[in-house]
Amino acid sequence: MPNLFTLVLQITVILAVCRLTGSLFRKFHQPRVVGEMFAGILLGPSVLGWMAPQVSAYLFPPSSLGFLNALSQVGVVIFMFLVGLGIDPKKLKHQSHAAVLVSHVSITAPFVLASLLALYLYPRLSDASVSFTNFALFMGAAMSVTAFPVLARILTERDMMKSTLGNIAIACAAVDDVTGWCILAYIVVLIRSAHQATSIWVTLAGIVLFAAVMIYGVRFLLRGLERTFHKYGEISENRMAFLLLLALASALCTERLGIHLLFGSFLMGAIMPKEPKFVRYVLDRFETITITLLLPLFFAFTGLRTNIGLLSGPSMWFYCALIILVATGGKLGGSTIAGWLSGMPLREAAGLGTLMNTRGLMELVILNIGLDIKVISPALFSMMVLMALFTTFMTTPVLELICPDQALRPAPQKISVAEVSFQEIA
Amino acid sequence: MSGTNKKFVFAYAFLVVLPLLGLAGILKSGRGLQAPASIDGLWSLQLDSGQLNSLPCGKVLAAIPDHAILISQSGNSFVLSFPGAPKITASGALDGTTLRASLNDMGASKESGCADGQPLTMLATVDRRADSRILAGTFSPTNCATCASVGFKAERQAAASPKGGH
Repeated sequence: MPNLFTLVLQITVILAVCRLTGSLFRKFHQPRVVGEMFAGILLGPSVLGWMAPQVSAYLFPPSSLGFLNALSQVGVVIFMFLVGLGIDPKKLKHQSHAAVLVSHVSITAPFVLASLLALYLYPRLSDASVSFTNFALFMGAAMSVTAFPVLARILTERDMMKSTLGNIAIACAAVDDVTGWCILAYIVVLIRSAHQATSIWVTLAGIVLFAAVMIYGVRFLLRGLERTFHKYGEISENRMAFLLLLALASALCTERLGIHLLFGSFLMGAIMPKEPKFVRYVLDRFETITITLLLPLFFAFTGLRTNIGLLSGPSMWFYCALIILVATGGKLGGSTIAGWLSGMPLREAAGLGTLMNTRGLMELVILNIGLDIKVISPALFSMMVLMALFTTFMTTPVLELICPDQALRPAPQKISVAEVSFQEIA
Repeated sequence: MSGTNKKFVFAYAFLVVLPLLGLAGILKSGRGLQAPASIDGLWSLQLDSGQLNSLPCGKVLAAIPDHAILISQSGNSFVLSFPGAPKITASGALDGTTLRASLNDMGASKESGCADGQPLTMLATVDRRADSRILAGTFSPTNCATCASVGFKAERQAAASPKGGH
């Protein structure tokens, strides 16, 4: 049984610190999510545990962390459903040459550079129980992800959502996220199947069957919800509960199939009807509790797993700097070059590269999976969390520098569904 | 094919296809790399508590209810903790198959026979032949030439969660 006093105390402290740091970071024109990520680090062994170990031990005794983790995972499951909801696969089909090139390069460039870096880091930060292939693929997937929700928030705040740059960035981020999750699913299946009696082919067949049922079966069922919404202007509580049940059932299926809970909830969100008013309505019902209560718990739990103290000695900090350099070079550099070769002015291409370099919460989700399946070590996890924090933090100031507001007022183009999404997530 | 399309195809081949071919090469060449021996996980200790009691600082270790060590590994470095005594932690280094860790923070107190500046050193070797499941070594006072050391054996418990194995 959880110690309820400890759990409620933990939640209270986490929410207070997250709100405070989130508001503080907003004053510096940073998305709230950066402040909340930072709050997690503050509450973990890197700051609180180091400065006041007794307070830390009282607030976060190791025996209590399982309950905190469970709550935070529920939050991430719902969050991934919302991320999937914000992605419209139809919009991704008809992108310009620039969007196709930038999205593909923004995956391959950081992926290949991360794999190259893995050649150097594997003998230094991994161990013999992890194969090089899994290590390199994970590093590639983790470095090629873009935080779709944070990006949507930054674009909305800067009134760039309707601009060409905003449209390309949001489309590329969606492609990156879907690709990154597919690669991650492949790695998780590879790793987990090595420890299960079920053959990998049975697992893969199960995944294909599950995806087919979701795309060709459940998706049509969901259209009924959209019709009801248009008829009555709202969805009953029962139907909303049914929707939540479907998301949780989908998450359970993918977990049972040997991938991860999060893939199921993401897929469920992705196959939802994409009519903007319907999407906004569903988001409004789920966002508040997820963003104000559950996601801060995830940030705190991630912070509790991040121990900057593990980066002892200059060599560890050198590896960390190398990771940040490669992640930024691959994503920002690759996207900038691709955008420029596609005919964008260099300044705009650099702005696009900067936006694509935002990793935010999505990176933390992937890193936590990596640490759970032990494909990355605790020290490498801490370095990658610092990289996620750094690359997300640098987005706004670098964007201000490269693309001041007046330089970004191109003619309005098509509106992405993400415009109505994630007003608060980031 | 128009000029724009040609440029696109060229850029795509150069920036996407070529790097992907490079990735295949990287994955192939990386297979030959060797990472440090795996020591991460929970190990159950077998040692003589009576002998351990006779060591300076040994009482603290002998008093731990379940003789288990949790090793959290990051490449050649590791953090060692005792689930039965969360306050005792140590960091160490792995050199080939040899582990060395200094248990500095043993809750120094006169009652426990543990004085400042006299930590315990753990020196052990991991048996790679046994799939890195067996650890054998000694605990000895770091700054005491006349003190005896206490031998121990440890066996790794089955992993609770999967690892990124081969």
